[in-house]
Amino acid sequence: MIEVTALTKRYGQFTAVKDVSFAVQPGEVLGLVGPNGAGKTSTLRCLAGIIPASAGTVRIAGHDVATDAVAAKRALAFFPDEPRLFDYLTVRQHLNFVARIYGVAGHEGIAQPLLEEFEIADKADQLPGELSRGMKQKLAIICGLLHEPRVMFFDEPLTGLDPLGIRRMKDSIARRAREGATIVLSSHLLHLLEEVCSHVLILKRGEKIADGRIADVAARFSNGDPNVNLEEVFIRATGGSET
Amino acid sequence: MLNALLYLRLTSFRNWLLSRARRLRQPKYLVGAIVGGAYFYFFFFRGLSRATGGGARRAAADQAMATVNVTLPTDWLPAAAAVGAVLLLVLMTAMWVIPTQRAALGFSEAEVAFLFPAPITRRSLVHFRLLSSQFRSLVGATIMMLFSNRWSFLGGNPLTHAIGWWFIFSALNLHLSGAGFTLTRLADSGLGGWRRRAFVLAAVATVVAVTLARLPTGERLPLSADDFNLQPLADWVVALTSTAPLGWLLWPLKWVLGPFFAPDSFRFLLALAPALGVITVHYFWVVRTAVAFEDASVDYAERRGARIAAWRSGGRRLGQTPTKGRVAPFRLAGLGRPELAFLWKNLLSTWPYFTPRFFGGCAGLIAVVGFWLNTQPAWRGFLPGIAAVTLMFAGYVLIVGPQFARQDIRSDLSRADVLKTYPLAGWQVVLGESLTPVAILTGILWLALLMFAFTFHPATARFDWLTPGIRLAFALAVAAIIPALVSLQLLVPSAAALLFPGWFQTSRTRGGGPEVVGQRMIFFFAQTLTMILAVLPAAFIGALPFAVTVLLKQTGPVGLLASGLASTLFVLGVLLAEVACGLWLLGGRFEKLDLSAELQP
Ligand SMILES: Nc1ncnc2c1ncn2[C@@H]1O[C@H](COP(=O)(O)OP(=O)(O)OP(=O)(O)O)[C@@H](O)[C@H]1O
Ligand SMILES: [Mg+2]
Repeated sequence: MIEVTALTKRYGQFTAVKDVSFAVQPGEVLGLVGPNGAGKTSTLRCLAGIIPASAGTVRIAGHDVATDAVAAKRALAFFPDEPRLFDYLTVRQHLNFVARIYGVAGHEGIAQPLLEEFEIADKADQLPGELSRGMKQKLAIICGLLHEPRVMFFDEPLTGLDPLGIRRMKDSIARRAREGATIVLSSHLLHLLEEVCSHVLILKRGEKIADGRIADVAARFSNGDPNVNLEEVFIRATGGSET
Repeated sequence: MLNALLYLRLTSFRNWLLSRARRLRQPKYLVGAIVGGAYFYFFFFRGLSRATGGGARRAAADQAMATVNVTLPTDWLPAAAAVGAVLLLVLMTAMWVIPTQRAALGFSEAEVAFLFPAPITRRSLVHFRLLSSQFRSLVGATIMMLFSNRWSFLGGNPLTHAIGWWFIFSALNLHLSGAGFTLTRLADSGLGGWRRRAFVLAAVATVVAVTLARLPTGERLPLSADDFNLQPLADWVVALTSTAPLGWLLWPLKWVLGPFFAPDSFRFLLALAPALGVITVHYFWVVRTAVAFEDASVDYAERRGARIAAWRSGGRRLGQTPTKGRVAPFRLAGLGRPELAFLWKNLLSTWPYFTPRFFGGCAGLIAVVGFWLNTQPAWRGFLPGIAAVTLMFAGYVLIVGPQFARQDIRSDLSRADVLKTYPLAGWQVVLGESLTPVAILTGILWLALLMFAFTFHPATARFDWLTPGIRLAFALAVAAIIPALVSLQLLVPSAAALLFPGWFQTSRTRGGGPEVVGQRMIFFFAQTLTMILAVLPAAFIGALPFAVTVLLKQTGPVGLLASGLASTLFVLGVLLAEVACGLWLLGGRFEKLDLSAELQP
């Protein structure tokens, strides 16, 4: 569903992502982990076609993001770490707008359950300025879910949510994966990742250090220790706290 | 404490300059800076040495004036000072009438995050804010000095002008803050927005009315002068502004203007004291009203805490009702052209007046008034004047309108990464984003056209062929072409935003700097050039049907009508093809746009 080959992203002279390749199949949830500045956000933004890759190819649902962007984008949703909303549209107007962009017929019927699922139905007629940060994030998430994407990219989806929101988010991600969605997410909350992700990819300074099923990656860095957790793996793989 | 704040202000300014300088490493920004610098030099600095050629220019202007029978006042200064004072009064009245938001000190988000939790007194914060606005006043004063240096009726020298402008800007800034705080306090003690507005307007209107009534009869406004003599008008303005009670109201404002209008250094020095006095009084007023927010009675402490929190966040408006979203301009179904979604969204971001109903109402009003004017022989004499003003207004809207109607890609550039995740081709985004300004400007131009059609009554026999039928046909043809023309005009700012995102990002927050002027200049050239290049082929092709009718000797009504129709369609076709081409190019540019690379040089 997602095929990434030799992805490289440069900002001027600086290489933020270096020659990264991986693939994610439907039903899988890939966790992207790495220290601050490792290139997680840059990778996700390249995958979603927001910034052009400097080299390499990205295929989403069989469509090349560089050459067949519209078809690829129709299949995907990107959830940025900072929710980006329009100050002058109410919650409901955001959904209305996004529905038209993606051509979602009968969007009210889809939007209402989502608003209720994320518990912001009572804020439906308010402007983003009146929402808390977590609520804004929920709104951004609902906007992305409206067109029932088959591929989803989450950048730090859990920060800023309340405990119940985190639980809902995890359940929601897991359920969508079970229903056949392909999901990539980045997070620093490793114990939560462990519950949601089937696969993990460790980045350090833009380079891929390891990827594969969580158990396999853990085995690689376990040094014979049978039940090592992801946090331990992360510390060992990225070589301590320094980047 | 103030030292830390001063440090913050200065380092921010330095880093801002540095990042701008670094951006110049990109060739396209460098070109802009060079054009801007050259413009600055030729427009302003050459004018600083005013003695050269100024006399000759003035003589030429006088000569030109003499031929059209206009008598100019010999001394402009008193009238100019009076008009200036009235303008200040209008601005300050607006400061009391317009605000809907609770007074906010206008801190940036980062300043709120760093300064508000810090152990800084409210007074220091106010000082910091005033200091920051002083900064802007200085820059504004310098720029305005360069402008006003070309006004030949002024005395003084560049330095006195700059200081004069500084007084004006400072007074306006301080008055804005003071009025804001006072209004917020009044609102807290229960004076609603509309009552306050009515009161302020009524007060000013009363003062003006009483003054007009008290004006000696000899000084009544000289209305119908046959030749264009401005001297009585100037005298009247001066008399009006020095008659009580308006005169009293204007005294402090005249003091503020004093240093600017001082004809020589001695009178400049004399004018400094009253101007400084006004500024000082303003300063104490602002600090007083601002500080009083916190040290009030304990009973209200809790409620006030919440209120101050809301006030600090700047998110609450006057009155009790929280900010509400607006009703959508039209129903947006889920299915249909996605471009219309942008129209819908961007209409929500502007004034609520841009609705078909409002424009329809205006059109109806214009039609009724137009008919009435045409039936009144007494008023027919004014029609050509109205027509000329309408035409000028339309030209202004067409050329400058795109700078004001910015509800397009320019205002969404900061959310470009959201737009980029949409499953739309680049041209669709650019098209959708430009629909709102196109709709708004088209609506305004249509109204102007309607007005023009009603008022254009040339007296000469050369226009005898302009029967109502032909008039209508013309109006319809022009009306059909206007949207295409406006779209073409709007492509230029969109192109500028997509090609120079760095400038658009910064120029939204603060203007200034030769490179931004350069951007405007390039922009203006580009727009003029686009207009010429785009309209020439259209005009050429549009002339073809008429040429054919003349060649075929079919100049009867049917032939003319047919060729007029064909011509309109041809012109429209060419313009639309050009717009499509532009959209396609800009769409490609949008798809390739890498904002991260542009904004971080
Ligand atoms: N627009 C940009 N211009 C230049 N360098 C950038 C830009 N955006 C990111 N970088 C650099 O690229 C590197 C990767 O950044 P990225 O945002 O992808 O990291 P990240 O893994 O998401 O970090 P975090 O965990 O803090 O979110 C960083 O070193 C950053 O400084
Ligand atoms: Mg990140």
